[in-house]
Amino acid sequence: PGGAPGAPGAVPDPPLSFPAEKHLVLLRDGRTLIGYLRSIDQFANLVLHQTVERIHVGKKYGDIPRGIFVVRGENVVLLGEIDLEKESDTPLQQVSIEEILEEQRVEQQAKQESEKLKVQALKERGLSVPRADTLDEY
Amino acid sequence: QSLEDCPLDEDEDAFQALGEEDEDIDQFNDDTFGAGAVDDDWQEAHERLAELEDKAGSSREPDGPVGNDGDVLGDPEDALAERLTRLVIDSELEDPAIMQAVHTRDPPQQPGGLNSSIWDSSAMLRRIRGPLLAQEMPSVSVLDYALPQRPPQARDEERDPSERALPRRSSSPIIGSPPVRAVPIGTPPKQAAIPNFNQQILCPKPVHIRATMQQRYPTPYGERMSPNQLCNVPNSSLLGHPFPHSVSPVLTHLQRAQLLGGAQVKVLPAGRMSPSQFARVSGLVGSPLPSVNPKLLQGRVGQMMSPAGGFRAFFGAPPAPPPSQLPHPPGPGSHLQNLRSVLSLSQRPTRSLHPSLTIPTLPRPQPQMFRPDTTHLHPQHRRLLHQRQQQNRNQHRSLNGSGGDRGGHRSSHQEQIRKDPYANLMLQREKDWVSKIQMMQLQSTDPYLDDYYYQNYFQKLEKLAAAEEVHGDGPKKERTKLITPQVAKLEHTYKPVQFEGSLGKLTVSSVNNPRKMIDAVVTSRSEDDETKEKQVRDKRRQTLVTIEKTYSLLLDVEDYERRYLLSLEGERPALMGERKQKICDMYDNLRGKAPGQDRLSDDHFMQIMCIRKGKRLVARILPFLAPEQAADVLMATARNLPFLIKKDAQDEVLPCLLRPFSHVLYHLPLGTVTSLVQQLTNLPQSAAAPTNLHLTAVLQNKFGLSLLYLVLSRGEELQNSDTNTELMQDNQWTELMLMATRELLRIPQGALAKPVSIPSNLISLFSRYVDQQKLNLLETKL
Repeated sequence: PGGAPGAPGAVPDPPLSFPAEKHLVLLRDGRTLIGYLRSIDQFANLVLHQTVERIHVGKKYGDIPRGIFVVRGENVVLLGEIDLEKESDTPLQQVSIEEILEEQRVEQQAKQESEKLKVQALKERGLSVPRADTLDEY
Repeated sequence: QSLEDCPLDEDEDAFQALGEEDEDIDQFNDDTFGAGAVDDDWQEAHERLAELEDKAGSSREPDGPVGNDGDVLGDPEDALAERLTRLVIDSELEDPAIMQAVHTRDPPQQPGGLNSSIWDSSAMLRRIRGPLLAQEMPSVSVLDYALPQRPPQARDEERDPSERALPRRSSSPIIGSPPVRAVPIGTPPKQAAIPNFNQQILCPKPVHIRATMQQRYPTPYGERMSPNQLCNVPNSSLLGHPFPHSVSPVLTHLQRAQLLGGAQVKVLPAGRMSPSQFARVSGLVGSPLPSVNPKLLQGRVGQMMSPAGGFRAFFGAPPAPPPSQLPHPPGPGSHLQNLRSVLSLSQRPTRSLHPSLTIPTLPRPQPQMFRPDTTHLHPQHRRLLHQRQQQNRNQHRSLNGSGGDRGGHRSSHQEQIRKDPYANLMLQREKDWVSKIQMMQLQSTDPYLDDYYYQNYFQKLEKLAAAEEVHGDGPKKERTKLITPQVAKLEHTYKPVQFEGSLGKLTVSSVNNPRKMIDAVVTSRSEDDETKEKQVRDKRRQTLVTIEKTYSLLLDVEDYERRYLLSLEGERPALMGERKQKICDMYDNLRGKAPGQDRLSDDHFMQIMCIRKGKRLVARILPFLAPEQAADVLMATARNLPFLIKKDAQDEVLPCLLRPFSHVLYHLPLGTVTSLVQQLTNLPQSAAAPTNLHLTAVLQNKFGLSLLYLVLSRGEELQNSDTNTELMQDNQWTELMLMATRELLRIPQGALAKPVSIPSNLISLFSRYVDQQKLNLLETKL
């Protein structure tokens, strides 16, 4: 919780023991990691085991196995436990890694195009919006 | 804390101590960034863990790091020895204080005091190592295995002499600085490091004492076991149910001492027993302990059990007083018997009490519904937790057939380990440690000051819930709140450290005693070289400062009600006086205090009203002002309304004033109201002025029009209520009304603004002064 009290700061008890529960971590750069949370400290540094990076594009998602992750606490946006029963109960469709990466690339491209057009239009009208630094975007 | 408190520094003088600071700082650096912070041999540890993974699939039970020395650990004794050495090594890694103590000093024989455990443990170590080295055990090879870079103890004694400084410093804080920990704050407890939250004196090294053997395991160490399992097995049986939380993969040196036998066991009290001390006290081992002093154990354990002040409120109920329950095993009698009974005591589920104290979990008929240590968890979380635990327990019960069957537990436990060997990398106490840090951040002596919005939000929620309940809603939604620790406010008067024998006072600057380094003096600029713009800017800045000051006063005044309730009887008049004074100050600030001078100009007030925050400020202050003062403010506003309207064009904040104004109006007499109308409408006007710009502006502005309506309506009220007494004013009023209505008629409808609300008695008001036709016109306009 940091300086502002109000949120329970309790460490989840069962997930760090048997039966191990999967956790979903959202990072500041937008990545989604799913893995078994093995260790945590007061800065929210995390140790994730058998981690999988999940990329979502539209209704599809793809998992990239990553192994062990050690995440520095300041990059964590949120962390939540995955209900294993509900995990399979999702409308999303899993696809292969290549496919999802391709989808992502396409999506990124489309975004960039529209962004370019926007900036162009603004420029024509004499307004220029400074492009936000990528890190601050989230 | 003065140096005299620290017995270790008796021989040295202050200067030397100061000089050693450097060494200490070096040591700190080392601890944080250098070799001290890292396990010397991470490679080894890594290999160990890697082996764990490898062997997990292959053998029936994971071997773990013991694999290499399997031959060596052919028999129980060797296994014990191996564990012992690992313990010793770990403690070396852990606490340079101990290492150093072993090498340099004779530990003073202190009875169980606060600092005693450090020295006691060192004494322990000495004795442990004595027999260890004496016996020609394969432990030597084990030692080599465990710490190849650090062959036998002899070498340790040639360690960095700077480490020697540590125990001294760890007992007395750095001069003037807050107490420092031997282990830097960021490191999580490997074995059982204690972050020294509230206590000035370094917590003595916490101690794990765990039963390593059960009488029901005749040859538990015949098979190869991983460190996890080693501890899991005895612990699970200890706990009575398969809870891997309280696993500690490494045994303490005391345990090894016990295992080795021949060592005098002293249970080391962890000083004040606060929940932050993770000492585990468990039953002692059965057979291999010929000489254990159960009385000593009990005595010490009893000491250990007295809970500390600090975090008591933290966890709901303090752990049940164990001393009363300790005398269960009778003093005399066979050691084994005593041990066994002590052991049985600790075999109860730890859930009923603080998890770090296994002994206090004395026989209870049923496990407590809620662990007292989980009060810091959010209630929903806690519920989920217990649900799951229940599930697990049921699961395992059904698995094993008999709930209390230890053998069954053991096998299921092993299953768990097989399924997920990494499951318990984080020990329960480590988790507690982290959550404790989080909870510490929530501690507050004055929650209304520290966390105003949270408190208010929850108050509102509770009110809502209460209101709903009153209406007899359906199932009451659970509105549970996280119990945050309440800490009593303590007055800390910091006394700067003084040195004996020094001339004068040495000023040592520190966190608690900051020293002024820079003399920042405000120099006001001369008036001559200021340009007009600068002056304007300065004036605006002045106004802003005034607004801020007044806001502080306002917040204080608004808070008085709460303080009033909390204060004692005697203090209340003083509080009221303060409040009054503050209100006067506020008003003076608003109107531009000029002692002895007639308030001729609205200038100051106008300046404030030009700023958005100023308007809001006025709106909030109005309820506190006396009626005359409030009327004064109102008049000033009305007088300068067009100007304000112009300035407010962008912000449109003026309507926020309507509500307080209407409250003020409610108390005003007719005379004031009349003059108000006068001000507002700027009537009567001189004949020369063709148009009434003032009135036009007012009418065309939402706020202005609404205000006008309000005032008119008030006037009408007054007229209706008390026609007799206000006869004198009647003429003035009537004239005004006539003029006002004329103006209203004249203005085209489109030019009229949309008022916030139209008082209902306006029509009746106008009906007095105009005929029916005009009245209809007016009605359509409104």
